[in-house]
Amino acid sequence: MNPRRVRLLMWKEFTQLRRDPLLIRLLILMPVLQLLLFGYVVAVDISHIDTAVVDLDHTTVSRTIDSSFTASEYFNVTHQPATEADIRALMDSGAIQIAVVIPEGTQDALTRGDVAPIGLIVDGSDTQVSSVAGAYASRILASLNATRLADQGLSGTGPGLDARVRVEFNPTLDPINTMIPGLMAVIMMISLLAIMSQAVVKERESGTLEQMFVTPIRASEYLLGKVAPYALLATVQMLIVAVVGMTWFRVPFNGSWAVVITGLALFMLSCIGLGLFVSLMSRTRQQAQQAMVFIMLPFMILSGFIFPIASMPAWLQPVSAVIPLTYILEVLRGAFVKGTGFVDLARPLIALAVFAVVILGAAIVAMRRRITD
Amino acid sequence: MRATLTRMGAVSRKEFLHLGRDKRMLAMVVLMPILQLLLFAYAVSFDVEDVPTIVIDTDHTTTSQAYVAQYEASPFFDVVAHSDALSAADTAFDRGEAKVAVIIPAGFADALFRGERAEVAVLVDGSDPNSATVAQSYSVALNQLLSTQITEDWASRQGLDLSSVGVLEPRIRTWYNPDRSSADFLIPGLMVVILAILTTPQTAVSLVRERTLGTEEQLQISPMRRIELMVGKVAPWAVIAYIDVIAITLIGVLGFGIPLRGSVAALAVGAALFIVSALGMGLVVSAVTPSEDTANIAAMLISLLPAFLLSGFAFPLNQMPVIVQGFSYVFPARYMVTLSREVFLKGAGFTEVWPELVALTLTTVALIGLATILYGRRSSR
Repeated sequence: MNPRRVRLLMWKEFTQLRRDPLLIRLLILMPVLQLLLFGYVVAVDISHIDTAVVDLDHTTVSRTIDSSFTASEYFNVTHQPATEADIRALMDSGAIQIAVVIPEGTQDALTRGDVAPIGLIVDGSDTQVSSVAGAYASRILASLNATRLADQGLSGTGPGLDARVRVEFNPTLDPINTMIPGLMAVIMMISLLAIMSQAVVKERESGTLEQMFVTPIRASEYLLGKVAPYALLATVQMLIVAVVGMTWFRVPFNGSWAVVITGLALFMLSCIGLGLFVSLMSRTRQQAQQAMVFIMLPFMILSGFIFPIASMPAWLQPVSAVIPLTYILEVLRGAFVKGTGFVDLARPLIALAVFAVVILGAAIVAMRRRITD
Repeated sequence: MRATLTRMGAVSRKEFLHLGRDKRMLAMVVLMPILQLLLFAYAVSFDVEDVPTIVIDTDHTTTSQAYVAQYEASPFFDVVAHSDALSAADTAFDRGEAKVAVIIPAGFADALFRGERAEVAVLVDGSDPNSATVAQSYSVALNQLLSTQITEDWASRQGLDLSSVGVLEPRIRTWYNPDRSSADFLIPGLMVVILAILTTPQTAVSLVRERTLGTEEQLQISPMRRIELMVGKVAPWAVIAYIDVIAITLIGVLGFGIPLRGSVAALAVGAALFIVSALGMGLVVSAVTPSEDTANIAAMLISLLPAFLLSGFAFPLNQMPVIVQGFSYVFPARYMVTLSREVFLKGAGFTEVWPELVALTLTTVALIGLATILYGRRSSR
């Protein structure tokens, strides 16, 4: 390894980067834009769900139920159709996402001491809203039950449960607190894959790759010189995400930076390796670009970045186990939100190390083969 | 006019030849969208069920066991571990083995027996806010329901008349998506996302490429007009993307059993317009970016993010801040997702989706026009 040769190559890459001021601006702008989009689109708190209440009972009880939904900040009662059949049209048009049906005879059933079923119809097309809406609605009904019992003069007397439900780590349940740590990894992945996948194939297309290989430069030196400038850029991007996330979005940080840095460094090696591998395997820049897009998308969708892995069907879950992004998300979220340390994050960290070694190793082997060709 | 057609045809033929030479690329472009559809149709879901739960029962009585059984019976909680030690909750949370911990302190049964209120603690791991929200609400509901029952049982044993206290019981029905796959609603939208990602990056590099290869000058000294070049560049990709549209629709309808209730013609026209506008967006990128690297990144930003986040395909537009909603009107993906859903699921035809078709036509014309103007400005410099 000759440091002078590495330095020269790095200088060449930086010069090329400087010639393209739009690229640098884009690379700086990208994390900010993504932060804002993901922060305000994906990490929304679900509240004020448009609701229809169908009151077929027209009694005091049914009006109490209606007003409990109206009073709740989670629901926004926009329609009060006369019949159950009207719900279909409202839900089809997207005007409501949940309908509460109070059947005729609800009050009578309650006075008899029976169980009175209340229909909750949720729009399953949006699974995020539907699962939350079902839970909120169950909670409202349960607290109505408790109130009714208390009204019988039994409050404070008699046995009962005093359940204290406490949310650990992220008490405000703000989704942004897990979104932004994940975004650090995703943004690094996008920019490193986009640039590294072009790195070698670009030189091949313009014919400078041969020139490079008739120089005394060695494969490892070439790799290091090629990679270092972009690794630096990706680090800057991550810092932007971390700073904006912690200042503007006020994401708390509970863990140790050593865990975060170790994880990100290992993940960075995987990204670089993957990008280089794509670049070495592609014959044209277009191929490399297409391959990169088709790698990135499954990474983002199947890693649990947005859609929880637990919600996927069992046969699909093993696929997320072979995606490095899955593990770095575990590390980052663990460190940021839970303050988990090295010991408990050993499994994902080891997985990341294995990915880094295997992927980077494959890229280096492919590189050697290219040179001897 | 005929000369125009000949010239456009020539550019298209050249683009097709480029593509035909590159068999690997061709295979990727045609097959990958189909593979993506198959994977993502299952993966895009926020549905929460069977949340791993650890039970720490330090009471060890039949009463506490009966309490635990309520969690086991719930479809929402999945009791994965039992323990005696309080520290087990921390360990399970740190390792990600459980998301909910139910802690029953010693003396639980005694308290109930004495007619007092028994304490239980439910800890929810908030690091996945979506399932934590649901877990929190369900455990509150479950405990209130149980508490009501316990009080009732006690009251009846005491001979108090509680016959007028019935219980309201939620019966949740999920429409459109009873078997946890949102395929019906997702695939029409997913089609749009996949198309956006397939098309925009292709044209984004194409003009820059002519420049870096030095063939741009040759094109300029030919009698070709700029708009002819644009249309010629777009045509081959439009054809390929259209093949993908047909494949995705067929897989959706035949494989996933998605109803295609509305007008196929309206869908066909909409898809064609959307593809051309997405390709036009690529051309705009191509006209303003100086290098292929820049074009790549810019195309990613302008195709992936809006189609994924601002189209309403998985994230409801009405839950977003108003400014973001306004932003979404600029991108054609929003209109196409609406159109596709209307046609597939609601049986819409031209009479219902004309506003979307008009919006798509406008964005298409605007984008191709913008690309032509911007490209002209650059080459005249």
